[in-house]
Amino acid sequence: MNRFLWLIRREIWEHKAIWIAPAIVIACLLLLVITGNVHLGPIGTIEGPFGDFPRETQVKLLLIVYAGLALVVDMVMGTIAFFYALDSLYSDRRDRSVLFWKSLPLSDAETVLSKFAVAAVVIPLVSLAGAVLAQFVVAAGGSAKLAMSGMASGVMWQPEALFGGMLIAVLWCITAILWYSPIIAYLMLASAWAPKGPFLWAVLPPVAIWVLERVVLYSEHVGDFITDRLFGLYRLLGSQGDSGGETGDPETGREIADKLGQIDLVGSLREFYASPDLWLGVVAAGLLLAAAMWVRRYRDETS
Amino acid sequence: MSDLIVARGLGKTFGTTRALDDVNFSVGAGRIVGLIGPNGAGKTTALKALLGLTRFDGELSVLGLDPYRQRHRLMQDVCFIADVAVLPRWIRVRQLIDFVAATHPKFRREVCEHFLARSDVKPTSRVRELSKGMVTQVHLALVMAIDAKLLVLDEPTLGLDILMRKQFYETLINEYFDEQRTILVTTHQVEEVEHILTDLIFIDRGRIVLNAAMDEVQESYAQVAVRPEHVAAARTHKPLAERQGLGRTHMLFRGVNRADLERLGEVGVPSVADLFVAIIQGARA
Repeated sequence: MNRFLWLIRREIWEHKAIWIAPAIVIACLLLLVITGNVHLGPIGTIEGPFGDFPRETQVKLLLIVYAGLALVVDMVMGTIAFFYALDSLYSDRRDRSVLFWKSLPLSDAETVLSKFAVAAVVIPLVSLAGAVLAQFVVAAGGSAKLAMSGMASGVMWQPEALFGGMLIAVLWCITAILWYSPIIAYLMLASAWAPKGPFLWAVLPPVAIWVLERVVLYSEHVGDFITDRLFGLYRLLGSQGDSGGETGDPETGREIADKLGQIDLVGSLREFYASPDLWLGVVAAGLLLAAAMWVRRYRDETS
Repeated sequence: MSDLIVARGLGKTFGTTRALDDVNFSVGAGRIVGLIGPNGAGKTTALKALLGLTRFDGELSVLGLDPYRQRHRLMQDVCFIADVAVLPRWIRVRQLIDFVAATHPKFRREVCEHFLARSDVKPTSRVRELSKGMVTQVHLALVMAIDAKLLVLDEPTLGLDILMRKQFYETLINEYFDEQRTILVTTHQVEEVEHILTDLIFIDRGRIVLNAAMDEVQESYAQVAVRPEHVAAARTHKPLAERQGLGRTHMLFRGVNRADLERLGEVGVPSVADLFVAIIQGARA
């Protein structure tokens, strides 16, 4: 097991973007907060002093801000994970160090698993930590701003909002890992297999099939399948949209809070986890990962 | 002691070309074997088969294991340097040592550090900042610190200057090699390894054209600087090769009585390079 941790350590040594990217996001956020340019999302649109709102509304509004921050960090880290997975089994073939790694008594299965673990566990954990840090930065910045305008600054630190934001970030992360695991595994397979340019090898085949299906069969099954896998996670947010009816931009903090009150996160999560799509994806991820291991193991590095 | 490597009917085909064709050889413990051949002869393919990096036909056993199926297990006792440039460029020397120490059960850290302490390599340097010679020193230090039974070197000194090459082999022989270890080396710079080899395997066009211990080679092959008046007589002994020198014709003989040869001119031990050229040309003729 210790060996596995060293394999993961190696990945973090090599791919510095894993911690540099969130550090940059936090640094930018900090800069915005310090220069007083931080825009507190819906709070900025509030009519009247935020501190006068009922506590429940405050919590809901803060929750949006904090969850939104987590989402931004997650999207940055998702991009990092995408390129990490694409590069994971290709970079050492490109610089020809693959034969050095293969001269160590490590199995290719271990190697592939460690790289998957970086994409599916380490990067999300960094993402979570980044989200929590971002929340604290904004809470501190918001407090300072409120204090300067003579309002009670404690409202930014309401535990329901902070912990609620963290909880959403955690749930979001776990769900995203499960949902995107087949994509990560697919990218790793492309990375293990591509003779050159894994990005094109990963992206072109599905796009080609998509276009071909449109042109030949006039149907969009493949396209639907791909877009659903890429964006299906947003069902978590969108499922209540039908009942609420999305008409125009919410004007006031109160309206937003009301809208938010309609979101049944637990309900949509339950629905999401009950859908076979999620679990079929996880199974597909396992198969794709096994294929990546096989390619990594038996690919002839002669050329 | 039983043989570490046994190959029987080893073959490998790429498309329509036979990279290896019915190759048979065995290597015992405590030997230093030079696998020598022209470009494209099948050396690298043979080594890749031995290291479980490529599929092959026929039978091949390395340390009693099937290298292709049991590669992971094999790598505990086999080390290899495939080419000088293969260390990852982004890594720091210290990280590299830490990583190998953590993942290789037979790695002796103090040995590696001992070797590196004598070089100019700083542990905090990244591989990409090191010169080619330094990278090789690091790689050699790592490999020599692994208590392996078999060390495979594929053109280990490619791109190094002559001082580095000499130092490379000296360190290898004086500080690493002993009766428990076996080294298999391929190189184009034959003259630099010939004094350390115990066995020679010549390979050409996927076939083995010579497989002998060095002392056998020295006994059965002789290089004679034939005086002009004896050239005709010398030719009756069917020299394998002939080359004009300063007032002498240098001929390479095989299995000819030593006393007969001494009458023709000064007898010497043929260099591996001369032997190689003669045998390869003979095999192709």
